[in-house]
Amino acid sequence: MSDFLQLIISGTATGAIYALAALGFTLLWQASGTINFAQGEFVMVPAIVTLLAMSYGLPLWLAFLLACAASMLLLGLGFKRLVVDPLIRHGTIPLVIATLGLSIGVKNLMKSSYSAEAYPFPNLFPATLFSVGDLKISVYDIGTLLLAGAIVFGLQAFLNRTLTGRAMQAVAQNTEAATVLGIDVKRMVLYVFLINALLAAVAALLVTPTYLAKFDMGDTIGLKAFYAAIIGGFNQTRGALLGGVLVGILENLMGAYVSPAYKEGVALMLFLVVILFRPEGLLGRVEERKV
Amino acid sequence: MSLGIEFDKVVAGYSPTLTILNELSFDAKEGQITLLIGPNGAGKSTALKTLFGLLSPRFGDVRLDGKSVVGFSPRKILEHGVAYVPQGRNLFGSLSVLHNLELGGITLKKNLEERIEEVLERFPRIRERLGNQASTLSGGEQKQLEVGRALLLRPRVLLIDEPSIGLSPIVSKEVFGMLRKLADGGATVLMVEQNVRSALKYADRALVLEMGRLALDRPAAELLKDPDLNRLFLGGKKS
Repeated sequence: MSDFLQLIISGTATGAIYALAALGFTLLWQASGTINFAQGEFVMVPAIVTLLAMSYGLPLWLAFLLACAASMLLLGLGFKRLVVDPLIRHGTIPLVIATLGLSIGVKNLMKSSYSAEAYPFPNLFPATLFSVGDLKISVYDIGTLLLAGAIVFGLQAFLNRTLTGRAMQAVAQNTEAATVLGIDVKRMVLYVFLINALLAAVAALLVTPTYLAKFDMGDTIGLKAFYAAIIGGFNQTRGALLGGVLVGILENLMGAYVSPAYKEGVALMLFLVVILFRPEGLLGRVEERKV
Repeated sequence: MSLGIEFDKVVAGYSPTLTILNELSFDAKEGQITLLIGPNGAGKSTALKTLFGLLSPRFGDVRLDGKSVVGFSPRKILEHGVAYVPQGRNLFGSLSVLHNLELGGITLKKNLEERIEEVLERFPRIRERLGNQASTLSGGEQKQLEVGRALLLRPRVLLIDEPSIGLSPIVSKEVFGMLRKLADGGATVLMVEQNVRSALKYADRALVLEMGRLALDRPAAELLKDPDLNRLFLGGKKS
């Protein structure tokens, strides 16, 4: 039983990281109809920037703040202005293709200009264990869970308890009605892009000690975050949270009780089941679109 | 009585090849409900969108109190005292009634609470549902909330598109009565409505649009008695 609980706790911690990246998917989709297949690279870039800044002698916290700023500027503002704004009027498909291209481009740029090697990344929390009865719990897992949880709850509080957050929700729900009320739609959409970049930077801080900093580290987390968002419901932020945590826990259970070989396939299997039987996702709502 | 709204030979549409308003000219006066009617595709909703800055005219002029507002953004039009309630459901369903009202006043720098109180006095049924999610309101309550939210800015001009759609006849009457009171208070109300016979009872003037042009401009009471009303509404020639 204690093994099972330990697997659940560490799975929830891993799932919380997937949820951070998955939240970005759902926020971008709701606010601007953007599906960003470069989301994994949005996690990789701040990880590499943090390492680069640390190589100049900056402490982790300062290097991370710098990475957050760079991420918001390049992957938030830059991505919106240079990729999304010119393409969004042509529909979703051209934008999806563009983000796939961006993913390949960013990876190869990082590989050729920085390194093809994998680099260790400092761990924010000590890799020690503490005991609660028979349970052996990792400080890293608890720290990850608490930090990711604080970010998610902070974001939810911002969206639900501030006028700006509610205006962002309004834009996501009905852009024309928001425009009619005088809500600055462009600004609200920009905020969403900046938040997505920030969430990706936090995910980088938490996931890179495990994945190592490498040009292709975003492949796995990007894909799992996408699956998590679809599983939970692409049009619901709480769906992204559920999807992320479900994927994290089931991966752990599958790895421990069935075979580690199947661990990486759990998200895909769950994704296929949801797409077949509940395409709107576990918490998603059916959307009608005019054609 | 001064002019509220003027359309002067306005040409507008949704793309360079799709012209909806075809040199449309009309005016709507303060203190009156002006009803825009006509067959589907005549340009009624397009006229409202053009006035509100959601579409830019390719030719012609749109004036408010004699001043051109062509090229103004919707936010700037709002600042000029024009509010717009589009067709269909325009509430943010997952947000509470109070939060929907607050968003209606997002452009206000101050006095938001006072304005909300003013709206709640006008719509007591909304006050009872303040904490509820907007999606849980009945159709009539939702329309009241939409109109109340638009009135939060104390607009001098209200543009409203199909206010009775999806509402029962009793609730439709309430909504029309509410618009009548608004116009009697001095506001300019420009309304698009398919429920023509009911709307004409509350309107002052009726403008019939055909193919993006003004086909007929008559007092509402007179048009209501016209035996050819159905033919006019469906796009027949004027007599």
